[in-house]
Order: sequence, then structure tokens, then C-alpha cells
Amino acid sequence: MLRNKIEKLLLSVQKPSRYIGGEAGSIVKDKSKIDVRFAFCFPDTYDIGMSHLGMKILYSLINERENYWCERVFAPAEDFENLMRENGIPLYALESLEPISDFDFIGFTMQYELSYTNVLNMLDLAGIPVFARDRGNELTRIIVAGGPCVCNPEPLADFFDLFILGEGEEVNLELMDLYLRHKKAGSTKREFLREAAQIQGIYVPSFYHFNYKEDGTIESLETSDGAPSVVKKRIIKDFDKVYYPDNFVVPFTEIVHDRVSVEVLRGCIRGCRFCQAGFIYRPFREKTTETICQETHDLCENTGYDEVSLASLSTSDHSEIDSMLESLIDYTEGERINLSLPSLRVDNFSESLLEKIKKVRKSGLTFAAEAGTQRLRNVINKNVSEEELMNTCRIAFEGGYSAVKLYFMMGLPTETDEDIVGIADLAQRVVDLYYSIPNKPKGRGVQVSVSTATFVPKPFTPFQFEPQDTREEIERKQKLLVDSVKTKKIKVSWHDPNVSILEAVLAKGDRRLCDVIYTAWKNGCKFDSWSEYYKFDVWMDAFRECGVSPEFYANRRFEYDEILPWDHLDYYVSKDFFIRENKTAHAAVTTPNCRLKCSGCGVSKCIGGSCFD
Amino acid sequence: MIKVRAVFEKKGRAKYISHLDLNRCMLRIFRRSKLPIWYTEGFNPHPYFSFALALSLGFESDCEVLDFNLNEELPFDEVRDRLNAVMPEGMRVSSVSEQKMKITEIAKAEYDLYLLSNDYEKFGNAVDRLMAQPEILIEKKTKKGIKSVDLKQSIELLSAHPIGDIFKTFKMTLRLPAGTQTNYNPNLFLDALRNNQDQDFEILKISRTGILCENNEIFL
Repeated sequence: MLRNKIEKLLLSVQKPSRYIGGEAGSIVKDKSKIDVRFAFCFPDTYDIGMSHLGMKILYSLINERENYWCERVFAPAEDFENLMRENGIPLYALESLEPISDFDFIGFTMQYELSYTNVLNMLDLAGIPVFARDRGNELTRIIVAGGPCVCNPEPLADFFDLFILGEGEEVNLELMDLYLRHKKAGSTKREFLREAAQIQGIYVPSFYHFNYKEDGTIESLETSDGAPSVVKKRIIKDFDKVYYPDNFVVPFTEIVHDRVSVEVLRGCIRGCRFCQAGFIYRPFREKTTETICQETHDLCENTGYDEVSLASLSTSDHSEIDSMLESLIDYTEGERINLSLPSLRVDNFSESLLEKIKKVRKSGLTFAAEAGTQRLRNVINKNVSEEELMNTCRIAFEGGYSAVKLYFMMGLPTETDEDIVGIADLAQRVVDLYYSIPNKPKGRGVQVSVSTATFVPKPFTPFQFEPQDTREEIERKQKLLVDSVKTKKIKVSWHDPNVSILEAVLAKGDRRLCDVIYTAWKNGCKFDSWSEYYKFDVWMDAFRECGVSPEFYANRRFEYDEILPWDHLDYYVSKDFFIRENKTAHAAVTTPNCRLKCSGCGVSKCIGGSCFD
Repeated sequence: MIKVRAVFEKKGRAKYISHLDLNRCMLRIFRRSKLPIWYTEGFNPHPYFSFALALSLGFESDCEVLDFNLNEELPFDEVRDRLNAVMPEGMRVSSVSEQKMKITEIAKAEYDLYLLSNDYEKFGNAVDRLMAQPEILIEKKTKKGIKSVDLKQSIELLSAHPIGDIFKTFKMTLRLPAGTQTNYNPNLFLDALRNNQDQDFEILKISRTGILCENNEIFL
């Protein structure tokens, strides 16, 4: 029995409870009564994957169906992976402790580009050939992926049988129903895939064939097997009524987000031009206060968590934010539950809102200013003025805060040295503000943390056409920023630019990257998002070995009239809109948020005309 | 405030819950049960509960002792049932009662050890030889560093023999000092078998079967 083999090794590894399941809320079914088994894989460790809200939703959703069984699978940490390989333990699912290799579906959620090699590693650990073409035509173990990264799935196209575009609450079950029909009829995998490709939201990459020009750009795209020439993503129309779990699996070991999450809204009205999430999750939809309170109540009761966090891209954009928080706090206070509110925007951060948060818990304040000057903030459409930011800091300082974190990006389109120095200047003005306030916290100095990330151009954003700064340029700008900071009250930190380069390549890449990913993984790359595992040199060798230039993807401007690797996927926001927004960005002109004025991105047509009543 | 003591099992998958994680796990169990648990009254109020004796990661147990306080009196059976309704797989409350004895009265714990060996006769002889020695010196890690102690003085080997017909294992029952003063882990004895008697074996299961007072009475 596999379980015995697993248990023999567990006491030799770190945090063994990650590998044995059995948590409260986990769902174990009688497999003799199951028609379709789904292995929901998160391509990172348990501690990270268990924090992912999408997995919780889809896990519960599938398991609501009596004859379907969804189980969880995570990437084992290195110590356990080594033992698994030495002892012939294949990758298994946590509920049944059975190998996933003969499950009906093996589904990965692709949350970030740097988890791609982990997918290959997990398939290999499961004993499954990593290339779809090597897996035969029998109708079993359909390897699928969803999540934000599959808006450009081409770098992963050779490894997956199909991709699920957009929101999964409906289409996942439709897909499983279709599979069950084909399983009963004794179909081949290809017969199933042909019909699956007709479902909105399902993209079967093997039915699409790219031709390239001599300069490396895409010449044309052909389809086969009757697959549609454009695949549209799925959207949940009635978001307030959409399925939401009333229970989560409650882990024993501490995980990154160890609390109840309640999704309050989907989509974003802001349209920050660098932000992929701001476009691919459109249209903006929110849940009613009543639904949010009910879901919070049910989840807290059933899980026993004493902390709840509101999940969204921008919680303060909820149209009933004040009354919603009031109702929530009424409940959470009485039950001794902590309420945390990430994703609050600077510009509508009111005094009364701050009072409410303070009532809950005093934690650090974080503001994503993104750019150091107003001009550049206009370019990226981050509609936050310095006055607003200072106002918020003033309220925070007067309310007893003495530490502020400011997030910036470096390497943004049109960025000059003035913008970099502007980051230091802005941080300095926050420091000065603190000391100018008479009723600042007594006896404490101010701490302004400036955290800079390297800009990564992403598909389905107005900046999808933009080149990324070269590493040399980023390093020069980082040095310039450090030299511009004159006080120890400002702490500067940044991400490794080598990581951002790979992110850009994988985000904007095409099918020719499949071999690069395969080669990098073969040569030992995995857990690329963990700095201690990231092997930039091995990646660069893989690019050379495959004759693929990373600069072609990261540092080249993609032309407006070029066929982009993701042009055949329709996320309802039109390419014309992105081109328009790109031009507006270069003119340093802002676009108002969706509530103020519709800018015609194209998404409203999928919900019948208008995003707001 | 009512002082309550629960005895619970920790078996199967639950044996991989570390002591630290068990605390958090128990907090959530209480919240799910909606029992009127008493909260501390300090700056950061939290439910008060305390485990009598920590259990090593990977050990099973029939008899973990948990003390907590309730704000109102409830039938003990109801408290037990409400906890059991929300326990994770492998954990089960066997009894709930008042706190009859003081935690400091805990003096010993009993363990069943199930081992796999290639040759049970040889293995049994090795156990006998070890126990026949005038002293069993082992290295024990303490807060002050590694200390050499004589296990012989405090160990009671209650039984040691192979069990099972087709699938054989070697079962030993040990009684060791436990509690706030001295705590000996049964692994110390197994280490001695390995190092002192050169025995090669595999641990199938270690299970705590009893928490006892000095006079071998069951701790209640």
C-alpha cells in the first residue's frame, strides 16, 4: 500500500503534515462510487498552494457532485521529493493517498510564470510523460490548466491537453460531464478533445498550428479538428449567486494565508495599464453585503478560523464598502474574529474607513504608488495623486502609525532618471510629513520602506506591446535610486531583475518556449520563484541550447499589427482598446475609472451592454 | 468558570500533527464546536487550554490529556459529543470529566512499540541482554547540552515478544518517567538497542497507552 510507504518516510521530512491529508474539511469519498476523479494540482508547496482561494472554490464545487471526487496535490519540498524518488513513491493525492497517474483529470492552476517548471516536475514525479504528444490517445488523465497565466498558455501548449480560460465555476463541471459521457461511450481522447473544444472557454492547443515569419514573429495560425478560430473566456454572469464554499480545508501546519477568505468582488474598475489582473478578470462584479456577511459567517463557523480576510483586487471599490464593513465588524467583533482588509486603495481611503480598520487590528500600512512622479503615474494610469497619498499618510500617522510601505515599479514605459529620483523624493516627503505632524506617535521615528519591483509587460494589458528594460538598465536605475536616498529612515529593497526577465519571457512567449522550459527543467530548474532554487544561468543555457532568444520576447517592442501569441484568445477586452490605451499612455494621459466613464474596452458586450446600472 | 479535562486519541493521519500545530488545531476545534470556552482576560484574550504531556511527532496515543475552562456548566457527555462532531480524522475524545488530579502528579507514561525485524528470536535475545545489563547508559539531549543518563534505573519493560502469525511484529510495552520533572522518550530505549546491541529493526508504530501517577494509578 502506498500509504505505508509514505508514512515510513514522513518522520524524516520537514513539516510532514503537509503530505498526509486528513485535515478538517478535507473530503474523502468511497472511490467505488466515483465516476470522475480530479486531481487539483498547485505547482508549488502545500504552504503556498493551500492559501489559494481558487482551489478552495473549485475543490468544494466539484465535490458537491456525489459521483465526482476532487483531491488536492502539491509539489513536495525538495527533501520529500528526493525520498519519494528514491523509494519509488509517485505523486499522490492527499485525500485518497493514491497515485494521480490514473486519475481522469489532472488540473493545474497557473498563478505565476515561475511555477511552470514545477508542472513538469510534478507530472514526471507522477510517472506521466510531460509532453502531451507522448501520452497516447486513450481517454484518461486529461491534463488541464486554468488560472491567470493561461491567458497566454502558449509556452505551456505542448504539455497540456487543454486549457480552461476564464472563470471555472461552470465550465469545470461542463467539462467533467462531457468527459463522463465520452468515458461511458468508450471514446478516444481525441474524440473527447474535439467536442471539448466546442465548449466556450476550452482551448485545445493541439488543434492550433502556428506558422512563423523569418523575423521570428507569427505569420499565421491554422486550426484543425473543427476548433473555433477564437476561444472566448468564461464569465460568471450572476456573481452574487455564484457557488461559494461554506467550508475550507483547515490545515494543521501554518500556511501563508491561514484564514477565511471571502471574495467580495471580481474584476477591477481602475485600468492600471501594467496590471493584467485588472483586465483579464473584467467585468467588474460585486457581491451584495448580505451575501458577503452570510459567506463570512458560514466559513468562520465551519472552519473555526478566527481571522477573515476580504479578497478582491480593490476592496474599497465595493459600492457598499462602508455599510458592508459595518455589518461585518458587527459580526466579527462579537465572535472575536480578526478582519483583515488587503487591497485598499489610497485614493478612497477615508478617515472613517481607517477608523474601522483600526478598530479591528493595527497592522502596517502599504501603499502601491507604483511610480515616483505624477507624469509617470499618469502614463501607467495609476490615478493616485501625491496629495492623496500624503493625505492618507497624514491620517495614518495621526492615527498612530509610524511605518509605511511604498511599492514602486521600475522600468516602466517612458521612464526617465527623473522618475527614479522621484521615488526617493516622494519617500523623503513622506518622512518630512511625519516630522511636521504635531500629534505624531510619541517617541518613535518613522520608517518608510520603499520596495521596487521590475516592470514585467504582460499579455492583455495596454503594455503588452512594451519592451522590458534590460538587466543593465535596471541595475543602473537601482543604483541611482539608492544613491538618491539620503536618510536611513528610508529603506530600499528590490526584486532580482533576473527573475523579472524570465517572467517577461514566459508571460509573452509563444510555443517555441515549450522546449526551453523542458530543457531548463531537465537541467535541474524547479521552484524558480524561490530565490534559493532559482538558476538563472541554467535558464540562459536552455535558451541557447534551444536556439531561442529571450530578448526577442522580453526586450522587443511587439508591433500593434503583429499577430500576438495570444491573439486567438478572447478575454472580451479588445486589442483595439489596448492599442488605444497604449497610445494614450505614451501621451501621459489618464483614462477615468469604469464607474466614472466607460472607456469601451469591449467587456460590456458579454454581459448585455453595461457594466454598471 | 468550570475546569474541565478531556482525554483524547490521536491516531492515523493525526499523528503527524506537531505539538505546536495541535494547539492551533485545538483552538479551531473549540471554535467549531461553539462550546462556551473561557477566554483569558489579558491584553490579547485567547481561549485557555493546556496539554498535560507533549506527544512526539509520529507517535499515536489513546490518552492525551487536555485541560480547558468553560464559562457555563454543561453535561460532560455533551461536551465530548460536540467536540467529536468537529474533530479531524484520527482524533476522538474518549472522555470528559472534571480535573481530579493535579498535572504535577503525572509521573510516568506507558507506550506500546511495534517493531519489524528480520529475526525475532535474535531480537528478543538482544532485548533481554540489554535489560540484564547493570546499567543502560544513553546520551540525552537536555536544555543544558548532552547528558549521559542511566536508563536502567527508570525504565520498566512490562512485556516484549513477537505477535501475529503470518504478519509478525515485535511488541514491547514500556513504562517511562514522564511529567514536569523527567521525561524519557521511548526512542531512547530503541537507540540503546541499536547502538548497544547492534540491532537493526524498523519502527512500525509507537503508541502512548497510558499516563500514570507515581503509584501507577491512571492520571484522571
